[in-house]
Amino acid sequence: METTDLSQHISSRFNEDLEAVRANLLAMGGLVEEQLRKGLGALTDANSALAGEVVRDDAKVNGMEVAIDRECLRILATRAPTAGDLRLVIAIIKAITDLERIGDEARKIAQISLRLATLEQPSDRYREVRHLGKLVEHMVHSALDAFARMDVDAALRIAQLDRQVDEEYESIQRQCVTFMMEDPRQIRRMLDVSWAARALERVGDHATNIGEYVVYMVHGQDIRHRNIEDVEPRPL
Amino acid sequence: MKIWLLVLLKLAGVLALGLVFGLITGRIALCLLIALLAYTVHRIWKLHRLVHWLRQRNYSNPPSLGGMWDEIVTEVLRLNRRKRYHKQRLVTMLHELRDSTAALPDGVVLLNARGEIVRFNRMAAEMLDLHGRKDIGIRIDNLLRQPEFLKYLAGSDFSSPKVLQTSTAPESWLSLHVLPYGEGQRILLIRNVTRHVRLEAMRKDFVANASHELRSPLTVITGYLETLAGDETVNEQFGAPIAEMRRQADRMAGIIGDLLVLSRLEAKEGEVEGEAVDVAAMLALLRKEALARPRRPASVTLTIDSQHRLLGDDIELHSAFANLLDNAVKYTPAEGNVAMRWWTDEAGAHFSVTDTGPGIPAESIPRLTERFYRVDTGRSRASGGSGLGLAIVKHVLQRHGGQLDIASVEGRGSTFTCHFPRRRIAPPVAGSNTGR
Repeated sequence: METTDLSQHISSRFNEDLEAVRANLLAMGGLVEEQLRKGLGALTDANSALAGEVVRDDAKVNGMEVAIDRECLRILATRAPTAGDLRLVIAIIKAITDLERIGDEARKIAQISLRLATLEQPSDRYREVRHLGKLVEHMVHSALDAFARMDVDAALRIAQLDRQVDEEYESIQRQCVTFMMEDPRQIRRMLDVSWAARALERVGDHATNIGEYVVYMVHGQDIRHRNIEDVEPRPL
Repeated sequence: MKIWLLVLLKLAGVLALGLVFGLITGRIALCLLIALLAYTVHRIWKLHRLVHWLRQRNYSNPPSLGGMWDEIVTEVLRLNRRKRYHKQRLVTMLHELRDSTAALPDGVVLLNARGEIVRFNRMAAEMLDLHGRKDIGIRIDNLLRQPEFLKYLAGSDFSSPKVLQTSTAPESWLSLHVLPYGEGQRILLIRNVTRHVRLEAMRKDFVANASHELRSPLTVITGYLETLAGDETVNEQFGAPIAEMRRQADRMAGIIGDLLVLSRLEAKEGEVEGEAVDVAAMLALLRKEALARPRRPASVTLTIDSQHRLLGDDIELHSAFANLLDNAVKYTPAEGNVAMRWWTDEAGAHFSVTDTGPGIPAESIPRLTERFYRVDTGRSRASGGSGLGLAIVKHVLQRHGGQLDIASVEGRGSTFTCHFPRRRIAPPVAGSNTGR
């Protein structure tokens, strides 16, 4: 695949620039993954110290977004990339926005877990939320892996996972409502749990977006707002 | 006979034949020319056949060309045989190498100077979730994205491995060790250390839980002993035993307390962030406490050469400094001196305690910070230490990025110095008078 190979440019500086900005994006992805993992850990283990870390480190994610954005603009302005290179830069600019949002959602989960940590921990340690979290974490990880590998098939699989996430989210919402009706004293906690699930569902959407950018980057095909079934990768 | 002589003779024969014909026909020059031409054409034909044979790369049916040509053919065949033999040997060796790395229980990933994956074995693929050939040429930091690992990879200190959990296998712990070699190339060695990490955690938990559980029965015993000591109806002959029992119970409480402190220190990971601690004030207070003891050396002095504060944990630093001073005071005879000093310089901040005690034998110094290590069993048991003081000091210093330096001359005394890095120095409290 010609787009995977960045080593075709006459100017090797250009190659290095593109490689570096892609590596920075993935490093940012790594940080966001860890934020998400820690946020979920803080929620399920009622660990307020961990939650504090996540809230504090969100600034790092934001700082990386700004730095990568600036680097991409510099490449666009000075190198005027075309075709695959242009798509790579565009995909990176889009992906950092989604990563930053995932970071924000992780911070939200951490803040919710700070509130929940003061209440009594339920015996199942929010099993449903934990399960949803695992799924979403896996999605973010696969999306970034697909970005690193330029793997369209893996990117398309993420969109399929998103449906599962939506279903789980729905079922958590229903469950929360049931609990609230059973015991009004639980409303406060259940609202928080439902907010955490909502944040996770959003993370799933952002991961799906990143997967779409991978398809765009490799095939130059815009698959947003379309059914996955219609988007079988066309032969090159 | 030599082949080249034969060839020469052949040429001479051809020329002679030409000459004879020339003599017969009377056109010597023409006949000689024809003879030479025929000879050359014959040569060229043979050369052509040789080249043709070589081009075919089919060495199984060599042409028989006679004379020197056969020599060339045999030589080529010999070279080819040797080449094939060496190639075979290399291939076998490579296969063996590949199979043996595949059989290794550890993951191995070879990286080039740009950090791109060159080769990896099966275990590495399993542990890091690498996708076969597709992943060759991808930078390792694009796939292993943990911030901790990126920091380790970008750094230059590869003396010890990095232990972390990967998102591909959240339940297991992997030890990742980068080994640089050649010109910028690196080997990434991956080991599954889950068992090790779990055992270590179990050990820590055990120490913490055991000390905690031992504390409550001990409190009961100490309470009854106190009552007994104050009870006048108790037979007088039990006075001394009860006093001794109380002393030992106190000592035990001390040991348990120190164990708990140690396990708490161990439980915390990484360096402390902490706030600025006014070391000078803390040391002045410690000196006062030391002077108030019934048994103490003739003089306990404190030299403050810097009003700079130290970034760290107040309680931990206090316990470290108190332990060092406590040791010095305990082991220095009544007529000796103990001197404390706090100063800062280019290298960082330093705290030292010098005593004129019995000193420590050189061979004991490296083992001094081990738990329950005794230089001289009789002596320290009598003085009632827990044997954990210096272990606590070492842990506290580790958590502050510092280190402990021990210098001692037997019979003259010892100096314990704590070194803290520059980044731990905080400016003095505003408005305080510097120097004294």
